[in-house]
Amino acid sequence: MHKTFFVVTVWLVSFAFHASGQEIDLLIKNGHVIDPRNNINARMDVAITGGMIFQVAPGIAESRAKKVVDASGLYVSPGFIDIHTHVFVGTKPGFANGTSSISPDDFACRSGVTTVVDAGTSGWRNFPVFREQVINRSKTRILAFLSIGGTGLSGKSAQEDLDDMNPDSTFLMFKKYPETIVGIKIGHYEGSDWTPFDRALTAASKAGIPLFVECHLPQYSLEDQLKRMRPGDIITHSFEKVSERMSVVDEEGRVRPFVKEAQKRGILFDLGHGGAGFWFSEAVPALKQGLGPNSFGTDLHRNSVNAGMKDMMNVMSKYLAMGMKKEDVILRGTWAPARSIKREDLGNLSKGAPADVVVWSIRKGKFGFVDAGGNRIEGDQKMEAELTLREGKVVWDLNGLTAKKFEIK
Amino acid sequence: MTRNRKLLKTFRRFGYVAAILFTVAVSERSLAQQNQDIDILIKGGHVIDPKNSIDGLMDVAIREGKISQVASNIPVANAKRVVDAKGLYVTPGLIDMHAHVFIGNDLDAYIANAQTSVPPDGFTFRSGVTTVVDAGSSGWRNFRLFKEQTIDRAQTRVLALLNIVGTGMTGRFEEQDMSDMNPVMTAHMVKKLFPNIIVGIKSAHFWGDFTQVDRAVEAGKLAGVPVMVDFGEHDPPNSIESLFMQHLRPGDIFTHTFSYGPKQRETIVDENGKVKPFVFAAQKRGLIFDVGHGGGAFSWRQAVPAMKQGFKPDVISTDLHTQSMNGGMKDLANVISKFLNMGMTLQDAVARTTVNPARVINRPELGHLSPGTEADVAIFNLRKGDFGFLDVRGLKLQGNQKLEAELTIRAGRIVWDLNGISAPVWDTVK
Repeated sequence: MHKTFFVVTVWLVSFAFHASGQEIDLLIKNGHVIDPRNNINARMDVAITGGMIFQVAPGIAESRAKKVVDASGLYVSPGFIDIHTHVFVGTKPGFANGTSSISPDDFACRSGVTTVVDAGTSGWRNFPVFREQVINRSKTRILAFLSIGGTGLSGKSAQEDLDDMNPDSTFLMFKKYPETIVGIKIGHYEGSDWTPFDRALTAASKAGIPLFVECHLPQYSLEDQLKRMRPGDIITHSFEKVSERMSVVDEEGRVRPFVKEAQKRGILFDLGHGGAGFWFSEAVPALKQGLGPNSFGTDLHRNSVNAGMKDMMNVMSKYLAMGMKKEDVILRGTWAPARSIKREDLGNLSKGAPADVVVWSIRKGKFGFVDAGGNRIEGDQKMEAELTLREGKVVWDLNGLTAKKFEIK
Repeated sequence: MTRNRKLLKTFRRFGYVAAILFTVAVSERSLAQQNQDIDILIKGGHVIDPKNSIDGLMDVAIREGKISQVASNIPVANAKRVVDAKGLYVTPGLIDMHAHVFIGNDLDAYIANAQTSVPPDGFTFRSGVTTVVDAGSSGWRNFRLFKEQTIDRAQTRVLALLNIVGTGMTGRFEEQDMSDMNPVMTAHMVKKLFPNIIVGIKSAHFWGDFTQVDRAVEAGKLAGVPVMVDFGEHDPPNSIESLFMQHLRPGDIFTHTFSYGPKQRETIVDENGKVKPFVFAAQKRGLIFDVGHGGGAFSWRQAVPAMKQGFKPDVISTDLHTQSMNGGMKDLANVISKFLNMGMTLQDAVARTTVNPARVINRPELGHLSPGTEADVAIFNLRKGDFGFLDVRGLKLQGNQKLEAELTIRAGRIVWDLNGISAPVWDTVK
């Protein structure tokens, strides 16, 4: 009896404390929430506590929050996931530990991206360096596709070395860092031998993670690549027009039958914009025929950031300009890529999920968007990141949404 | 005889006429040829080139990487590529006189060869900047590494102030080491070894008296270059009046002008919101006031009253590094926008990011659009709307205009094109 009374008292007191106290660290009020994972597409409030999503509901009382952000007229989504980047930045020439890679924080925060996947810039030999030098030191969450080549993108001679494509060592590195390594990449090989592809597939199968296929495999036909891929495997640079790989649409602008077949079978098409990987002449007819990207991988690297690509929101805005609905754009920037890398803890605003959130606006005006061929498409709207939160912390605030007004005393 | 003479005269006359006709033909032809050789013609923009006192609608022609002509109505027919800049502003490529770009993988270091620095290209072109001055990230001991790793590989023109400390900004303790502040060696690096890249000396982060500043000035005198001082980690603060009037020379640079951290750094605006009189006097004396926004060095409570009382910085710069890039600073266009919203004219702001810094670092070939100079050009739109601008204390100033870089050209190459104004529409191309 005494004990029960005590428990009830504690419960009542704590309830009262919670009700009057401020159990919410940050409350984003009145934004239009688009959270495809939870089928939310409405005006709602988003409450964050302890770096996690606490509640998404209409009319959460401001009195419960330590800090309130007014997101009227703005959209609120899970932080974006960019599954094709090169962020193993260092001082060597080239990509692996090199100057062609770039620091994710430089570009992610300002474009609403909270998670990037490095696309095989490292392999099992140099992943630990990548991890120590970049992954552990970035605000952006960095995951990785491990290259089947032992040293990742370390120059042509290393990338062509069959002896250094070891599925067992690759698998063991995955076993060591399963929270970071989310796929295996095959992407750079000039021979006609399928051994590298098969070894990458072996490592991926053993680890139960997807294979990520990039285009620099000139001797493999697109049809053969797609045929060897399993449902859930990802092909990138989907809408490129280069000599190294056949386009997904034919000369008449029709999506090739075997591409449609692959799509039906569950092969995932990542955009992989980069400096050469995205052309309106391929992407526009493909989209009209039902082949859009499953994810908006930017192929972020030193040469794409100042070209037509720019950043992930610019790439997403291209699809708005091409007629994709904003809800579909958000799906492909959040939940779809999270699922594709089997990280269903990400890309959603479910209670308890890490509070990676982007508050964004649609800017109206007259805009142009450029593809890898230097051709332009016109649009009247453009997405802009107003506020980016990474595990509840503000990592970008464009217009001072979270700030107090300056006043002269 | 007479007849012959007459004939000769006629011939001569004919010859003159022919010669004149020929000359005219040739010059017309060469003119046409010259015009056909315009690589990029920027049409119809509002050109602001403070050095040349240009402030109006003009066309800018670029040929072989250089400015070939700035004039009204340059014919379109003679250009290979035309950029329609109607409604936009055209300026010389901006100079960011305070940045930290010595990125590297010394995981124990702070800014020198370390991760607090950023690679310049990702931040410069998208805000109209074509030249950055690294503000003392390296010293004479590690400048060569900086050059090899960053300067030689960047598309952005990277110049540098050399730190008076031999190891540059390796860490706070190294920066106190008076046995590693060598004016002679520092001056040799500037004058004898790298005069094309090193444009001045930096003194920063020193906890002691005026020793470091004085050594930097000594090096500056030996090398004939200015000194930039970040003067604010003294507890209690050292006198900035003494710094301005006794230790620095006209042409030397005081950075972090609008910083507010009175416990360690004397402020230029007093606690009653008044600009200290000696600050005006120092500017009159020729001391250069640089913004150097950074992650901790720009407060509205300093900048707003200063601007109201007519104190304008000589140079607007970012202090770009990882701790400032995603905070209130963002990029140079954003920092300029802050001043526009505090009442500075666009013309004044452009001068403070082009001709002024070029003069300060004694690089007269930069910061203007005179024919024959390397074609570093920026095109901006001035966005109207409702914007907020953050200072380093998380306070916001509301504004209604914001500068956005539309197109950036570095040495005649388009290195940034926000909306594809230089690109053809995709379905018009075969």
